[in-house]
Amino acid sequence: MKKIIIFIFLLLILSGCTTSKENVVNILNWSSYIPDEVIRDFEEKYGIKVNYSTYSSNEECLAKLSSAKEGTYDLIFPSDYMVELMIKRNLIQKLDKSRLTNLENINYNYLNYNYDYYNEYSLPFLAASVVLIYDTSKIDETITSYNDLLDDKYKGEIVLIDDQRIVIGMALMALGYDMNDTDVNHLEEAKNWLLELKDNIKAFDSDSPKTFMISKETSIGVIWNAEAALAMKQNPNLKVVYPTEGFSVSIDNFAIPKGAKNIDNAYLFIDYILDGKVMQKIIEDYPYKNVNFETQNYLSIDYLNNDASNISDIKFNTGSFVKNIDEKIELYDKVWAEIK
Amino acid sequence: MNKNSKSKYIYLSPVIIYAIVLILFPIIYILFLSFQTSDNYGGIIYSLTLNNYLKIFDIVYLRVLYKSACIAIITTFICILIAYPFSIFISEKKANTQKILITLVMIPFLTNSLIRTYGWIVLLRKEGVFNSVLRSLNLIDNPISFMYNNLGVFIGLVYTLLPFMILPVYSSVSKIDKKVLEAAEDLGANSYQKFMKVILPQTLPGIFNGSLMVFIPAIGMFFIADLLGGGKIMLIGNLIKNQFLVSRNWPFGAAISIFLIVITFILVKFYKKSGGNMDDLGGF
Repeated sequence: MKKIIIFIFLLLILSGCTTSKENVVNILNWSSYIPDEVIRDFEEKYGIKVNYSTYSSNEECLAKLSSAKEGTYDLIFPSDYMVELMIKRNLIQKLDKSRLTNLENINYNYLNYNYDYYNEYSLPFLAASVVLIYDTSKIDETITSYNDLLDDKYKGEIVLIDDQRIVIGMALMALGYDMNDTDVNHLEEAKNWLLELKDNIKAFDSDSPKTFMISKETSIGVIWNAEAALAMKQNPNLKVVYPTEGFSVSIDNFAIPKGAKNIDNAYLFIDYILDGKVMQKIIEDYPYKNVNFETQNYLSIDYLNNDASNISDIKFNTGSFVKNIDEKIELYDKVWAEIK
Repeated sequence: MNKNSKSKYIYLSPVIIYAIVLILFPIIYILFLSFQTSDNYGGIIYSLTLNNYLKIFDIVYLRVLYKSACIAIITTFICILIAYPFSIFISEKKANTQKILITLVMIPFLTNSLIRTYGWIVLLRKEGVFNSVLRSLNLIDNPISFMYNNLGVFIGLVYTLLPFMILPVYSSVSKIDKKVLEAAEDLGANSYQKFMKVILPQTLPGIFNGSLMVFIPAIGMFFIADLLGGGKIMLIGNLIKNQFLVSRNWPFGAAISIFLIVITFILVKFYKKSGGNMDDLGGF
């Protein structure tokens, strides 16, 4: 009896080893970005097994991609500046757009940006913006700018994204500079601005800043638009502001790494996601800015009326992208170490 | 090599392979990385430079180092203050009770420390369990800030690292021969003298071992500072993590890691010089 059990057990273990010849696609994506349901539907429809792994920052994606054996991943989702960097480092390959039947669904406002001018290597998946939200039940004044946040009254009331480029960029914009400024004196000013703000900051959190706004731990947040939109569902007193000094935006993209082994399946997956109805499921769960024309017809009133998620194209175009600043990142690194 | 020692190596081979593949190779790679130059894109330019080490002595990074050391030292002291009386308390129990109590100390290890830290958030936050209880008992009007400050970081670090202090301290306390204590009493030592002259010297290796096991992880545990301190404090661990995952400067991150390893060795050396026995440190 014992032997039989051990035999069955071994069979079960070994059966895990034989799947390598199966029809698969290896996806490396942001954590919480595509609902499990969408992945399962894709697997059922095409009979392709999806191996899904995740990352929580562009740099982590870069590290995983460049340290793994070529061909480990078939599809990744880098943001704008990371696409540029990956092209420079020769990590991703040109796309054959003729293989995508849903290509024309993509909103052309989000194509042909500087980071990949003719979209030879990447195609937009979602767009995001960093917004300011505040709880009108706890704050009587109207907040319109980053400089409003310096008020002593808001001691320990603010949650910020834990991202040095976005937070220092916010300080630079508050001072009237470009968010990618690398001038030493301007960065010194930005540091002092942030030190002034520091007493008002409760926490830096990138994982789930919405929790702070829902649990009323904080009454002001500078967070990603989808996080803001999800918080607003739970706490209707929250109000969205696009600060007068400017705000940052980003576009996340589909890209296929060099040496990918299951390219056909990667294209199938991209095409599947670009389908209006599939994208609608993703957007309703993770309410970032939709960049798909077809999807726009299916979106709920809730989504469409939400200022955080459904930022207009015109408004989006006034936002600033994080840009590669090469070795100057060290200056940001020092400011970050000093304000913490 | 006789037959006996040959078979010893065969039995030890899994451990040796483990140590070489998972400890020695990565450290050699990190050491190699620390002398390279970053290409700003997460890659390296092959070179032989000390710049990464010199950069550590920049005042900005020295401040991070100083702050981390302060936090780690305070954490270590709090752990000693809790673990020492607790170990003496356990060692005075019956053998079976001792076993049960020590098992209880180790039970938290069955759960991932990240998950336990999230558990603390539920307890400590503004609308959390502690504040709700205190408020419903009318003990406080406004919620107390248990977390998103230094207090939260200390609670998290002491909680996570306390077992690492209790276990070595307990093992040295329980090793003290009861007859030696009786001898001290017979020779007229009062309880203060007995503690200072007999108990403390014999438990110092345990305390030192525990201190190393608490101090070093305390410097590197960035997720506790991030979760319970609200990401407002940069510890050396956060700095290293940032070099790998944000600034894309792997060589600098590697240099700080090697710097930490060197400090650890210096501490151990210092312990040896001051008369400590290496066997008592078990491992080193």
